[in-house]
Amino acid sequence: MIKRISAVTAALALATVGFIVPAQAATTEADCGTAGAFCVGLVTDLGKVDDKSFNQSAWEGAKAGAAKAGGFAKYIETTDSKDYAKNMALFADKGYNVIVTVGFLMGDATAAAAVKYPKIKFIGVDQFNASTATNNTGLIFDEDKAGFLAGYLAAYLTKTNKVGAVFGMKEVLPVRKFGEGYENGIAYGAKERSKKIKSTVVYHAAGDNAFSDPAWGATTANQLLTQGYDIIFGAGGSTGNGALGKVAQKAGAFCIGVDTDQYYTVPEAKACIVTSAEKKLSLGVSTLIAQAKAGTIKGGNFTGQVGLSPFHDLDSKVPAVVKVRLKKVTTGILAGSISTGFKG
Amino acid sequence: MKLLSKRNGYFLFAILATAFFYSKDGDITTSVYATGAAFALPLALAAMVGIMCERTGIVNIGIEGTMLLSAFVAFFVSSLTQNIIIGLICAVFTGSMMGLILAVMAVSWRMDQIIAGTILNILATGLTSFLYVQGKTIPSVFQAIEVPVLSKIPFFGPVLFIHGALTFIGIAIILALYVAIYHTSWGLRSRAVGEHPSSADTAGVSVARLRYINVTIAGGIGALAGAYLSLELVGSFERGFTAGKGFTALALMIFGRWNPLGALAAALFFGLAQAYANQLMIDQVVNIPTQFTAILPYVMTIVVLTISAGKVRPPAAEGQPYEKGQA
Amino acid sequence: MSQTKVAPKEVGKPAKNFDVGSWLVPVIAVLVAMSLAAILMRLQGSNPLTAYKSLFTTAFGSAAGIGATLGKSTPLVLSGLAVAVGLRAGLFNIGAQGQLLSGALAAAWAGVTFEGLPGYIHIPIALIVGAFFGSIVAGISGFLKAYRGVHEVITTIMLNSIVMGIADYLASHQLREPDQFLTRTSEIQASAKMPVYAHLPLGFFIAVALAGAIWWILGRTTSGFRIETVGRNRHAAWYAGISVKRTVISAMLISGAIAGLGGAVETLGITYRYAPAFNLGLGFDGITIALLGRVHPLGIIPGAILIGGMRAGAANMQFDSGVAPELVDLLMALILLLVTAPLITRFFKNSSNKSMTSGWGS
Repeated sequence: MIKRISAVTAALALATVGFIVPAQAATTEADCGTAGAFCVGLVTDLGKVDDKSFNQSAWEGAKAGAAKAGGFAKYIETTDSKDYAKNMALFADKGYNVIVTVGFLMGDATAAAAVKYPKIKFIGVDQFNASTATNNTGLIFDEDKAGFLAGYLAAYLTKTNKVGAVFGMKEVLPVRKFGEGYENGIAYGAKERSKKIKSTVVYHAAGDNAFSDPAWGATTANQLLTQGYDIIFGAGGSTGNGALGKVAQKAGAFCIGVDTDQYYTVPEAKACIVTSAEKKLSLGVSTLIAQAKAGTIKGGNFTGQVGLSPFHDLDSKVPAVVKVRLKKVTTGILAGSISTGFKG
Repeated sequence: MKLLSKRNGYFLFAILATAFFYSKDGDITTSVYATGAAFALPLALAAMVGIMCERTGIVNIGIEGTMLLSAFVAFFVSSLTQNIIIGLICAVFTGSMMGLILAVMAVSWRMDQIIAGTILNILATGLTSFLYVQGKTIPSVFQAIEVPVLSKIPFFGPVLFIHGALTFIGIAIILALYVAIYHTSWGLRSRAVGEHPSSADTAGVSVARLRYINVTIAGGIGALAGAYLSLELVGSFERGFTAGKGFTALALMIFGRWNPLGALAAALFFGLAQAYANQLMIDQVVNIPTQFTAILPYVMTIVVLTISAGKVRPPAAEGQPYEKGQA
Repeated sequence: MSQTKVAPKEVGKPAKNFDVGSWLVPVIAVLVAMSLAAILMRLQGSNPLTAYKSLFTTAFGSAAGIGATLGKSTPLVLSGLAVAVGLRAGLFNIGAQGQLLSGALAAAWAGVTFEGLPGYIHIPIALIVGAFFGSIVAGISGFLKAYRGVHEVITTIMLNSIVMGIADYLASHQLREPDQFLTRTSEIQASAKMPVYAHLPLGFFIAVALAGAIWWILGRTTSGFRIETVGRNRHAAWYAGISVKRTVISAMLISGAIAGLGGAVETLGITYRYAPAFNLGLGFDGITIALLGRVHPLGIIPGAILIGGMRAGAANMQFDSGVAPELVDLLMALILLLVTAPLITRFFKNSSNKSMTSGWGS
């Protein structure tokens, strides 16, 4: 079943993207471990590959990357964080060529596995890789840049001069980077407009359900809405998604998604999603897989792209002059000529 | 009832505190209270499930599972039929069935009731995460309705009279349950069955039948709490959606001493504490670590209960299967 | 509490539990549950045979697999035992999760802080520290129950969240690994790491020995007798001159110490540090395990091994058959339902189905 689906997606990807068809037929699961086969395994952090953000984008990237390389991709969903090593070993022992591990919590386990399996290429999503191993590549992102751009846009779109955010745990570095970048972006935009804009980030309490508490996200978003906040950035698994869904129920309020273009993954929030502070996770993963296939992957860290998603249905609500300014600031931020002010 | 009772003292304190906050910043206080009410509603409704069951002597720790599965059904049926009313009806049916299953296990099979509830919980967790599919949407949520005239009253309007339909239904159920338990023959019989089933039996009340009916209806109320989450508050469903609310509700039920209004008050207290914890963060007045604002409601609950002490006594026959001829 | 609230128990009479019926019931329950789940897998388009084969050969098919299974079972035995001890005293300790967390964190602290000790001293110290903190957390509930009449169900639920918050704060501040942005403690000293003998984790033997000890204490000692009597009938216990207050507190202290030890064993034997994502749900699984084992200290062990095995094999099952690991939760619910429902029990057992727990056991 899985084999068939992946073969079909591989074929589709080849047909639509128009890549050069490799000489040999696409790898199937049975081929993994044999010469010439190219197999990609993905291990999620505690989470599912259909989580609408993080794990899902990584998995899509792995599928796309494998398809492009004429390979095969498969995942395991971790249910206990003590099983990271074990789950990686499942792929390693079957002779997979590339193992993608998703989430900063898996950093140590990935580094250890890279030492244990020197022939396998490891891609650690959101893992800053401090090792010198050439078969371990951290895929990291400047979340503060994406957050800054979202904040900058929000500063121009707010009518009430109150801009808020509903986030998952503060203790998670990428979340905090988004948050600080966002607040600094708002301040930057406010200064340009010489307006006083109130900004706030409400973090969910640290705990088991920080990223899976949509009811809290929705209620908190509503608390901000009733206090006149008209743009809310929701980030942090389904907690953030809950906030987006709530904002969509309020006419005239905007919301900002996170990680992927959530216009597609959180359909209930289509009415309010003006943009998403995107980490191009799928692209990063598939790029690194292509490098692994080509043998050019270098280890160390690979900084993936960040940016804002298209405005979609709300395109008409963003004034042309704001789009021009945003473009300019985006260039500055990505080039580093404008600082996001993130201190760490 | 004494005018200077402890309870009236708490009420007075709550009113004075509210008035004080309101005089300092009306809009924020209103918003915080409205948020507190929103946090409280699903908890209060879930506590009603517990009260209805326990008043007749059935312990229901399966509230969490009932809410979770009902929220799941509510959302996916709504999505499938593109009609939230059908989704709601199916959810209430599901919840009632969960209640019925609990009744079968607890009353007919005389199974251990804690086990029976635990089964409902893990069954719901397993089923919902196993069957979950993403990318579904519902046509709309139960939109907020502004009650004419009443919603314009300062403070009380936004807090009490601007809500979705399910909130109003929920509040009505809580009030109705209070009246029913203390002022109807059904309530009298239920309480009798919960306190002393053999006497109730002698007086001609069918213990098993009443337990069946109450637990089944309670399941329907639990379903409403779940459906409120997926069809009114959030508008989607995710794995682990209820995030432990069914367990918190059990604590609030005991906190409120098995009295619907007591549980409602406990839930409001809890909800308000959460809303204030949020507000501290929004206003950035003091930089308290999120861990501490988060545990604040829990610490307050324990402190209040410790101070107010008073032995809390559950219905006497709770948790025990009833057999005819039992002492 | 009224006199009707007598929950018959079979402590000290284990022989009665070893008739053919009681062996067959769980086996049949497991088989029926697996068949039901198989239908569901079929409907989802997966092959249940492949799934089960993978699940069970991983869990029980090799020495390494059995080691992993026992590793997963260890905290389950302990948290199940903690819940069971509470239930025996008529207390519903939903707080095993919080007690386990505090034990895990405390053991990590002890494992990191004490230096230069030999393993045979360091490990016991760290275990005792973990058990002690678990015991303190549960003791709060016990004390409030005994002297202020605050219900243990409320306090244990609230304390779960409170402990989680405090543990998280400490792990991200005072006890955080230096120069790390992750919320977690440093790795414990090598001397605090519990050894594994040919795949068999030391912790499992500690857990089993403790289960035996609790069984002996409950059935054969005066303190055990007091706990059992208070659990059966608080009023009768009071008339018999047993200090109910003291017994409630000591039962909670024991229960919490066991749960805390569960956390400590996990830290010292498996994770080697504390991080919030570890130990998820272990305390709640304890409730299921305690009930599956019919609140019998020794009955808990097979249930814990079965569930530990399924948890250990879940990833392989997904790898080989594509079946999501949540299947284990589903199986757990079905098995629990079938084991406890009188449907099949009646066929094999003459004894009537009696309550193991008694409400909130107020």
